[in-house]
Amino acid sequence: MTEAERGWSDDAHRYAEGAGAPPDGAAERAGVDRFVAAVQAYRNGLPSLGDELDVRIMAGVRARPRPVRVTGWRWLVAPRAVSVRPALAAAAAVTLIVASSVLTLLLLRGEAPAGLDGGATGSILVRFEVHAPQAERVALAGSFNAWSDSSIVFTRGGDQDQWTVTVALAPGRYQYLFVVDGSEWIPDPLAHAQIEDEFGQVNSLLVVGPRGVVRS
Amino acid sequence: MAGGLSDGRDDAVIVQRVLRGDVEAFGVLVHRYREAFGRYAVASCGDADVAADAMQEAWIRAYDALATCEHPDRFGAWFFRILRNQCHNHRSRSRTHASLDDVTVPAPTRTDARVEWGELRGLMERALQRLPTEQREAFVLRHVDGRPYAEMAALLGEREDRLRMRVHRAREAVRRELEGHYD
Repeated sequence: MTEAERGWSDDAHRYAEGAGAPPDGAAERAGVDRFVAAVQAYRNGLPSLGDELDVRIMAGVRARPRPVRVTGWRWLVAPRAVSVRPALAAAAAVTLIVASSVLTLLLLRGEAPAGLDGGATGSILVRFEVHAPQAERVALAGSFNAWSDSSIVFTRGGDQDQWTVTVALAPGRYQYLFVVDGSEWIPDPLAHAQIEDEFGQVNSLLVVGPRGVVRS
Repeated sequence: MAGGLSDGRDDAVIVQRVLRGDVEAFGVLVHRYREAFGRYAVASCGDADVAADAMQEAWIRAYDALATCEHPDRFGAWFFRILRNQCHNHRSRSRTHASLDDVTVPAPTRTDARVEWGELRGLMERALQRLPTEQREAFVLRHVDGRPYAEMAALLGEREDRLRMRVHRAREAVRRELEGHYD
């Protein structure tokens, strides 16, 4: 193996990093010195991105809608029995109790969940929550409603900060966004995954499983 | 050496101000991190105009997604990841029409220091273009920006030992490029 194929010694690498003494060999030291000079020449020759770029960036920023703080969907309910292994029975019971209470609540109020159309067989009820205290209107748009910004509208909660909506979805994979005040399309920051579409728009991903297991 | 990450508490205060509606406060972050990461962007994109576009796009995305920045005290690292993606995207697009042949390196000379300086710069530029992306960005952060490995690990979300290995390999590749030209 030639010296060139072996590469530099550890001393030479440390010296190139600016730590340690120069390597013993004159040829190796000359090589490292040339490397350091090349890095310096490259660094000095790099054009800088000047202050005028800041002006351009801020002009673009001012034209954007104000960023809105949101929190995403919290949990889901499945309006049917789920068979579980004994070890998981306790956790499942909690889920079913929660599911029952929400369903009961919905029935007592006489509300049909958004998109349910009177009760879709095999659908899973998914509850979305958004924390947007300064919003006037919040809607849910996604691949499940042809990205309509008006068909699924959130209801403002009693504390005025929290918006909720429950949607019946068949098992499948969906992309969605929150639409705040009709103009700001915002991905769910708590979603399990975000997908960038062909236009560079980032959408949140939601997966509804056949047993009511939903992942975002 | 490039500017390091700033005091996180200061960044967090600015982020809160922007989220409360003070858009102009965002300019403080823009100035701070455009300066800190400008050299990385130019070296990473291989072209100042491409880097400026990547930087601008990164800031717009950062502003739009500011409410999703879970740790505003680590804004710099959060923004760096957005910038890094934009640099990769813009570099890929611009490379469609560029090739290594675009980098011209003068013939070896020992007679004129200015010519040798330009020669070294051209060699380094060509060597960087030939590096795999991960090695190039590690090399740039370490040798061109002069950042400590701990800071690089925070920016790239990687372990320090892995970054040391990437820089080592990149340095060997640059060494071969230089030796191949002069020897």
